Order: sequence, then structure tokens, then C-alpha cells
Amino acid sequence: MSQRESTTDRIVMRDIRKRYGMVDALRGVTLRLGPGEVVGLVGDNAAGKSTLMKILAGAVVPDSGEILVDGAPATYTSPREAHELGIEMVYQDLALCDDIDVAGNLFLGREPRTAGGLMLDERAMHAQAREHLDALRIRIPLTDLPVRALSGGQRQAVAIARAVTFGPRVLIMDEPTAALAVSEVRTVLELIRTVARRGVSVILITHRLQDLFEVCDRLCVMYEGTLRADLDAHTTSLEALVEEIVGRGHAA
Amino acid sequence: MNTPVTTEPAGNERLVVTRQARLTAKLTTHVQTVAVGGVLLVLLLVFAFSADQFLTVNNVLNLLRQIAPTMIVAVAMTFVITSGGIDLSVGSTVALSGSLLAIAIAAGWDPTLALVAVVLLGAAIGFVNGWFSAYHGIPAFIVTLAMLSIIRGTALRATEGYSTPIPRDTWVVTLGQGRLFGIPVPAILALVIAVAGWFVFAKTPFGRYVVGMGSNAESLRRSGVAVRKVGLSVFVLTSTAAAVAGVLVATRLASGSANAGVMFELEVITAVVLGGTSLFGGRGSIVGTVLGALVLGVIANGLVLLHVSPFYIQILQGAILLLAIFLNQKIFSRFATRT
Repeated sequence: MSQRESTTDRIVMRDIRKRYGMVDALRGVTLRLGPGEVVGLVGDNAAGKSTLMKILAGAVVPDSGEILVDGAPATYTSPREAHELGIEMVYQDLALCDDIDVAGNLFLGREPRTAGGLMLDERAMHAQAREHLDALRIRIPLTDLPVRALSGGQRQAVAIARAVTFGPRVLIMDEPTAALAVSEVRTVLELIRTVARRGVSVILITHRLQDLFEVCDRLCVMYEGTLRADLDAHTTSLEALVEEIVGRGHAA
Repeated sequence: MNTPVTTEPAGNERLVVTRQARLTAKLTTHVQTVAVGGVLLVLLLVFAFSADQFLTVNNVLNLLRQIAPTMIVAVAMTFVITSGGIDLSVGSTVALSGSLLAIAIAAGWDPTLALVAVVLLGAAIGFVNGWFSAYHGIPAFIVTLAMLSIIRGTALRATEGYSTPIPRDTWVVTLGQGRLFGIPVPAILALVIAVAGWFVFAKTPFGRYVVGMGSNAESLRRSGVAVRKVGLSVFVLTSTAAAVAGVLVATRLASGSANAGVMFELEVITAVVLGGTSLFGGRGSIVGTVLGALVLGVIANGLVLLHVSPFYIQILQGAILLLAIFLNQKIFSRFATRT
């Protein structure tokens, strides 16, 4: 099993548990992630994928368990602290501010400033936004349009660009391709490969199983709050993966 | 720009889309501000022709002096409403700060010290409002409604219902009655605060986060912004502004009264909504708020000059608020959501 820890791991999550009232969302999950590795996290609805990733991103605090970042134990209780450790998340529900423009959303919370930090540096913000979007080949003509004026695909692209452009060490993507047109899916998958080649570790949650085989190195299957299987994406077949997700093969 | 873009549509096609989109975006953001500016112009023309006294220097300066407290608090209220909150306690704070200023001076306090203390008290009231609403998730509407009652009651208890005169030889009286270069001090103060408010709202990270809070607070929180601090700060802004407004009102009349500022919150909120700020947060305009306050001031002043019963002014103000919200919801929001 590749869950065996090594000293070069980017992330180790050890025996993570989380309860919501009577519901055991996570029942002791251990997950590791190497530098530049792309891991697909799959499982049925309510298997605990999103909770696990919210914990890694600092949005949810686990009841117990340990997280190591580059070998060092890390305790953080907010997204801000997770950001500081280089852990970024692209959320499923498009966490953008509709009334703020594209550049403003890209830099939300980390705006370039001038006048000793007092003022927003709008010019630098728009110039850098243009550069980032072009580098990621995201086609949005104007960076001073409010996000509400964009299409669903463009909005998702902005959300992803926001996470990527700050040079994260770990990038978590929760259903990044769900709202995209076919051509935009290709762009995002290509983007994931590019990012991973730069050494960024990527965790990809998706229901589009065909996407996983295109970009992932490993496939981790969750089932009812546990990590049930850790498969090599290059040698596993789609059928075997589906068997693991729905729970056959283990019961036998 | 360093990566070759392979899948670009023809250059001029992108330009056309760009220009249209930009024009639409600019127009939709400012359509209501432009509309309220138009209303102000029409009102000015109507009253200029119907009321002889309207367009005299004295009357215009007087109008500005009278609307200054509303404008000052409305600028601060724009921040609260844009962030998705509301502050109903400002009228009571006007009464309390004016009353306590007069009482403190009558009790022999140094006027400057009394002034500073009253403004700090205003900030403290905002802190309480913000603590309950931003840190404990109690709806701002209820928190500030409760505070409306608490603060008004405190002012009545402190004054026992009597107004307290402020001696005309104390310097603070110039805040309400004085002129600088011929312009009433309250009007100058309102202008300075409006410009500062516009700057903070449009040009600083804080203003950006206020918009973000009203737009998608969860997104802002996930971006690592201290959302609760922003949420608390906006209430400190309104209450401090209300304390300043209370000082202006009391010193203008040279008397502190616990009955000052009744229905003041309604006037302030009307000015803000009239200016195009969305009651649901996310969209706000300081310029619109200033124009909205001016519209209310012009109406009140013009109707008095036309000898209309002052009771109608209150009816009209409520009607304007209702109409402004209706238009905001039904007409102007349609521009904003069109893609």
C-alpha cells in the first residue's frame, strides 16, 4: 500500500476523525500526498471526501488526528493559516463575490497595495490578473467586469485561477470541471498537469471518473468515512475503480 | 502575456465583445446613481421656479447645514448596508450623544473633553452592536432595534425628559452654528466625511471587504479575511458618525434633548437606499448616498418654503423609501443581473 509514510511526503493526514452530532463523517482516515503528485479522491456521496478536504484546507477542524506538512506537525484552525502553509482549495460552490470584478476576486484577501498598504493598487492588480489569466489560457476579455457578468465556465476558471496563481504547495479541487463546457474541461485538466509538473501536489475530487485517469497518479477511494482503497491510476481499470466505489469486491 | 495563446478568436471580435461588456458593466453599476442625480436636478428646478426663497445663498447654506447630520450618518450607513447589515440605533445615539454633551458641559466638564467622551461613547455603542451581530450571528436588525430602545431610554433617563441648554459662549457651539469661509461648519464636516468615506469605500482593502461581505461573506472568510472584524468595524463607523451627528444637532440648537433624532434612522436609510445601495448587500455607492441625502434635504426644505404642512414631509419620506426599494428590487437589479 502506498499509504506507507515517507520522509519526503508533502502532506500526511493521520487518523483523522470528525463527528457531526450522531453522524460519523470521518472514522479515522489516513492519507498521504507526495510533491507533484496528483491524487484523485473518489467515493459515493457522503463518503467523507469533502469533509476531509475541508479539514486539510482549514475550513473545518477535526475532532482528532494529526496533519504533517513537509514532515512537520501542523495545527491550524482557519483557512488563513492553511493558506500560510501553502494549502489552497477551489470550492465546489464557486466561492466568488459576484459584485467584485475579476481581478478583485483573483486577489481577494491578498490585494496588491500601495501608499504604505492603505490603498488598493488597482493598476497592478489588473495587470497581474491579465498576466495570470493569459498564462493559464483562460479567456476572459475584461478583468474589470463584475464576476456576475461571466458565464458559469468563466466563473469556475476564475475560481481555479485564484487558487493557482498564488503558487500553492497543495491544491485541492472539489469538482472543478462539473460546470464546464467540454473544451473548458480539457483546459482545466491540462492546467492540473502543468501545475503538478511544477511540483505542486494536487488532490482532485470529481464524479467524472474519466477525468481521473487522464491526470491522476493515484486514486484513493473513500467509503462511509474511511479510506477503503489506494490504487495506482496507471494500472487500475475503470471497472475495478467503480467496484471499489460502490463497495462490491470487499463484501465478498 | 508570455505564453502564446493559440485559441484566440479574431482580434476585433474580442474587442467588440469587450467594449459592449464594459459599457454594460459601467452603466449597470451606476444607473441608479445617475437616476438619483437626475431626480435631484429636477427637484432643484421645480423648487427654484415655485419657491422664491429657494435659490438664495442663505437658504442653500441653511439646507446644507440641516442635511449635514443625515449625510454624515448615511455615508457610514452605506458601509453597514453594503456589508449586508443595518443599523436602526443611530437616531437614539444622536439623542444620547447630544444630551450627554449638554449635561457634561452643564456639570462643569471641559467642552473638548465632553466632546471626545461623547464620540468615544458612540464608538463603544457601535462595538456592542458589532459584537452581537458580527461575532455572535444575531441579526443586526434585532440587535440594533434593541439598542434603539436601550439608548433612547438611557438618554431619557439621563435628561429626565428636559432639554439641557449649552451655553453659547462654549466653543463647541461653533460646530453647529459656526461658519468657515462663509460655509456652515456642519456642511464642511459632511463634505470631508463624504470624501473620506468615498475614498475608503472605493480605494482601500477595507472598502473592498465590505462589498465582499455583502456579496459572499463565506467566500471572503475562506480567502482568509477577518470577516468578523470587518463586520464589527462598520457598526463602529455608524455609531461614531451618529455621535458626531448628535453633537452637530445639539450645538446647532444650543441644547441637548433626549427627543432629538426621532425617526432619524429612517431618513438615513432612505438616503442610502435612494442612492442605489442594495438592502441585501454587495452593491453600494457613496456618491449615490450623498445625492440621496441631498434629495431628502431639498424636498424637506422646498416643501417648508411652499408652506406645505410639515406632517406631509414624514409621509413623503416613507413613501420615497418604499418607492426607492421597489425600484431597486424591480428595475435596477435587472440591469445588474443581465449578462
